Amino acid sequence: MRMITKLFARIPMARRQHLLTLLAGVAAIAFPLLHDNDADIDSAANAAAYATLALGLNIVVGFAGLLDLGYAAFFAIGAYAYGILTSFQVMPHWSGFWEPFAWLELVRRIPQPGGDLVHFTVSFWIMLPVSALIAAAFGVLFGAPTLRLRGDYLAIVTLGFGEIVPIVVRNVDSVTNGAAGLNGIQAPRLFGHSFGVAALPYYYVAIGLVALLVFVSIRLRDSRIGRAWMAIREDEIAAAAMGVDRTRTKLLAFAIGAGFAGATGTFYVAKLQTATPEMFGFPVSVMILVMVVLGGMGSVWGVVLGAVSLQLLQSWFLEDISGWIHDLGTLIGQPWMLKIDLTESIELIFGLILVFMMLYRRDGLIPATRKQSALSFEEQHAEVRRGGFPALTGLGNFTHSDHTGLEVRDITVRFGGLVALNKVNLAVPAGDVVAVIGPNGSGKSTLFNVITGLTAADGGTIRFDTQSLLGLPPHQILRRGVARTFQNIRLFTNLSVLDNVLIGQHARLKTGPIAAVFRPPSTRREEAAARVWATEILSLFGNRLLPRATQTVSHLSYANRRRVEIARALASRPKILLLDEPTAGMNPAETLELAEQIKSLHSLGLTILLIEHKLDVVTRLADKVVVLDHGEKIAEGTPDEVRRNDAVLQAYLGRGTLAEGMVDA
Amino acid sequence: MPELLQFRDVNTYYGDLHVLKDVNYTIGEGEIVSLLGGNACGKSTTMKTIMGVVRPTSGSVIFDGVPIEKMSTAERVKRGIAPVLEARRLFPRMTVFENLEMGAYTRKRGPEFADDLDRVYALFPRVKERLNQISGTLSGGEQQMVAIGRALMARPRLICMDEPSMGLSPLFVEQVFDIIQEINRQGTTIFMVEQNANMALSIAHRAYVLQTGKVVLSGSAKDLRRDPAIREAYLGELQVT
Amino acid sequence: MSFSDLLLQQTINGLSLGAMYALLALGFTLVYGILELINFAHFNVFMVGSFIGMWTLQLMGINGQSIVMTGLPLIVTMVLSGALGVLIERVSLRPLRDVKGPAAMITTIGVSYVLFNIILLTVGADSKNYPNPLPPVQWDIGDAVLRLREVLIWVIAVLLMLGLHFFVQRSKMGKAMRATAQDPEAARMMGVEVDRVIVIAFFLGSALAGAGGLIFGLYYNFTSFIIGFTAGLRAFTAAVLGGIGNVPGAMLGGVIIGLIEAMGGQFIATAWTDVIIFSILVLVLVFRPAGLLGRVAPNKS
Repeated sequence: MRMITKLFARIPMARRQHLLTLLAGVAAIAFPLLHDNDADIDSAANAAAYATLALGLNIVVGFAGLLDLGYAAFFAIGAYAYGILTSFQVMPHWSGFWEPFAWLELVRRIPQPGGDLVHFTVSFWIMLPVSALIAAAFGVLFGAPTLRLRGDYLAIVTLGFGEIVPIVVRNVDSVTNGAAGLNGIQAPRLFGHSFGVAALPYYYVAIGLVALLVFVSIRLRDSRIGRAWMAIREDEIAAAAMGVDRTRTKLLAFAIGAGFAGATGTFYVAKLQTATPEMFGFPVSVMILVMVVLGGMGSVWGVVLGAVSLQLLQSWFLEDISGWIHDLGTLIGQPWMLKIDLTESIELIFGLILVFMMLYRRDGLIPATRKQSALSFEEQHAEVRRGGFPALTGLGNFTHSDHTGLEVRDITVRFGGLVALNKVNLAVPAGDVVAVIGPNGSGKSTLFNVITGLTAADGGTIRFDTQSLLGLPPHQILRRGVARTFQNIRLFTNLSVLDNVLIGQHARLKTGPIAAVFRPPSTRREEAAARVWATEILSLFGNRLLPRATQTVSHLSYANRRRVEIARALASRPKILLLDEPTAGMNPAETLELAEQIKSLHSLGLTILLIEHKLDVVTRLADKVVVLDHGEKIAEGTPDEVRRNDAVLQAYLGRGTLAEGMVDA
Repeated sequence: MPELLQFRDVNTYYGDLHVLKDVNYTIGEGEIVSLLGGNACGKSTTMKTIMGVVRPTSGSVIFDGVPIEKMSTAERVKRGIAPVLEARRLFPRMTVFENLEMGAYTRKRGPEFADDLDRVYALFPRVKERLNQISGTLSGGEQQMVAIGRALMARPRLICMDEPSMGLSPLFVEQVFDIIQEINRQGTTIFMVEQNANMALSIAHRAYVLQTGKVVLSGSAKDLRRDPAIREAYLGELQVT
Repeated sequence: MSFSDLLLQQTINGLSLGAMYALLALGFTLVYGILELINFAHFNVFMVGSFIGMWTLQLMGINGQSIVMTGLPLIVTMVLSGALGVLIERVSLRPLRDVKGPAAMITTIGVSYVLFNIILLTVGADSKNYPNPLPPVQWDIGDAVLRLREVLIWVIAVLLMLGLHFFVQRSKMGKAMRATAQDPEAARMMGVEVDRVIVIAFFLGSALAGAGGLIFGLYYNFTSFIIGFTAGLRAFTAAVLGGIGNVPGAMLGGVIIGLIEAMGGQFIATAWTDVIIFSILVLVLVFRPAGLLGRVAPNKS
């Protein structure tokens, strides 16, 4: 035993994962050959089916953070799609229309005295992906009007859909045979042999499905799409500001999750050869949720473990434990203990699992970790620089020829009765640094929010490079080249530094879900280039961020988190950078360092609009200063001019002797 | 004059962000003391520390000789500290009268309650006119009156005001500051966090100036009014060693 | 029966159902208003409450006497249900008070399951006969029938709703609850002990659920472990329809859903009533999340 442990310890970390996967795979394949019990093999196949369901829900709840309480509806849709298309339930009359389908062996002509009928005989293998697509389509249908709702409301709506589907199924009995359920569903056929009722072939199909969906999950998780999902889960607003199209990305999660369930539905029903509405109600949705919660939300292997554990519990352990309790009862003379049958209490256990996991181990059995390959030695030890980024020049600098600047004209923003911005005018010519200053409540952050599309304007225009930004959603504004940071730092808290910066590139990368799964050379090149760019950006901050690239940002110091936010914004290759109080909370030394770094960015051609209240930073950096007070622009000029401006002093200090007659000190 | 409120070497961290750095204040009974400073200097953290919403990482807060930094907010209100919150924060869907009632939450309903109401009405006749109006529909200045009245209903010994001039028209600002002086004359100690240094110094007895969490200036209002260093502290230029 | 008599009968039925749903929705909305938490366990507290009511009535051994008129079983049911709610809050929800995300809601799903299954495992799956403590008095209006039990249900419901209304509007704690729902931090600064307010909200809400459970048993003459789910979704829709967090809204929503269920069951088909009610839920949340009387727009948090 010790030799094995020693051997194991010798294997490098990255390889360990592969080895474990290989061992699991071998064990799964060998299992039925070594343990020839049909009932157990059947249970194992069920466990595998639950695992695929859990994997699907994991994408929706775990990756994207969308709580779906009606997930079983998609399971039902996949099941009934296959069921209807292979049972004797729906049998239209024969006509010439069906000839080509019969030739393709999708239907069969049944001779009947009253008129020939069509019997659907679509192959199981074709239906697996087709059901997935059908379920995914329903995912889009349910999701499109509802995904913009807040978390708990979304949960309720999905619960509603989850109930409506089985009820509809139960009531449209001409198609679904209602509560009695579909019967005579055709078993899968392979090379002419029907699976019939043997447990073994279903088991291998199930294992294959699990393997496939684990593979797809992992590929998606580690791709641009997975990152976008996690960004939405962590902070939707920041995700949008970094270029993530929230609606499309959420729909994608919903649809893919639905697809997993649809495929599983087809498999499950093919195995049972029957389908009834009871199989797909709220209790099933909850059971899948329990598996995900138990295993670890967002953890691919975790949810598989969760599903397998619950199945083991249900099929084996509970019976054994009940037996032990009976024996104990006999032993100590407590006859009531003989009546306990734990197998009936599986749902009670589900409830207890949910409560305990939420109270004591919210991360699940196998917490989700984003595996990032560590940075190379060179990457990590970039020279400490306080200012200047020669490293960037090799990659192409920030100057853009078609960039004229930002023009804000007569912008008015009202919140109820309060006028936050009143006909504010601001021009940021390309290549300049403009600072916005003003006392608390003067509307500075509102100005940023209206430029970046997070707040609607009630009047005025905003033009960037001569194109209007008004009415555009935040992610599109990012794509136009406007990137920002937030006053109270909105990072993706549970993700690493590197992930945060990679998400900043979301709009500049192109990999979609299909490319994410198949990883063609173009995707691999794109990801590699993205990492290189991310490293370059991080190296702008010397050795402050690079050595910490794989750390979760919640563990970073406040100053470092500010830097990561700026890096993230830079990663999107913006034309203009909007920095909202970037030096807040930094000590003088850190402030100076960041000011130098911002100056260097400017010298590379980046236009910068800056909210800042430290006047020495402003003086060092800004070409022009705009002063806001109570939502209005009260002064504009060079830093020196503004510092001596009476109106500005009054705004900060109030009208009176303090501001008057102050000779510049 | 006896000391009513004291901060002794208070340090507060939000995570690793050092928000208050070795802060010392003394507020004597019967005074108006103002806390000044520009954006993000620690003023609102000071308020929250007094009210108990935030606990200091080290140091103590002493009220009337008793350390209160570990006490609950409710306990502190019972001991005689009442807040006028930033941007008023009246209960928007409750009436003016109900808001005043909430101010007296920690006290028993007795004859004193009626006396306190009368006092509020005397100071704010406009409030008396609008007792049954839903407070969310009042103007900013009217809300400020109600907010101050709400604090008075607690019969506090110390009122902590957070930016009383914020969002108000200059006319209302003058009125509010007049009323603050009147309340002080009637015997209530006032600790006022304020960005508008001029107005604050025109009615305060003493003041402290905060910059990035540290007290950089303090003294009598008269002296500070003549000190050019204030302007630099506000505009973020005073280099603190 | 003539159409108008049918209509009248179903209106009577609908109002009785509505009374029950209104009480359930009220309890739910009280907690939501303060914590913004969707408490799934609420509807199984209702179910447990109906069992408590049944056992209380059985213990008192009544059948057609006047004891029920003194309201003792009602009070016992409400107090015990309230206590159950407080226990749930203390044990499973208070530790999660500051945790962001769906953790608390998921926990309430777990608690709901636990309650449901404890009853199922101890009492069994068959429905239990509810003792019928009332004398069989009824009045005939044309062909429609109005029974004593229905009048009693209306009286109980109206009294409880009025009581709650006065409590929330006039009493000190009630105002503290409203204040906490509107601005918890400001309420705390007034000296309100927010923890206590939450406990009382849970107590009241669960007590109302218990009362609803007793009413269910009196109306249908049976109870079973499963009633929480079906009545729950209806009451939930009622709360959403009226405006989640809004007290008059919950009452209005309850009555509307009760009427829809009665009319739907009569004029369409019971099976489709479920779909109608769920569809209302979905449609309200999608198109008018604030409900009929609410004001919060639950789009982005």
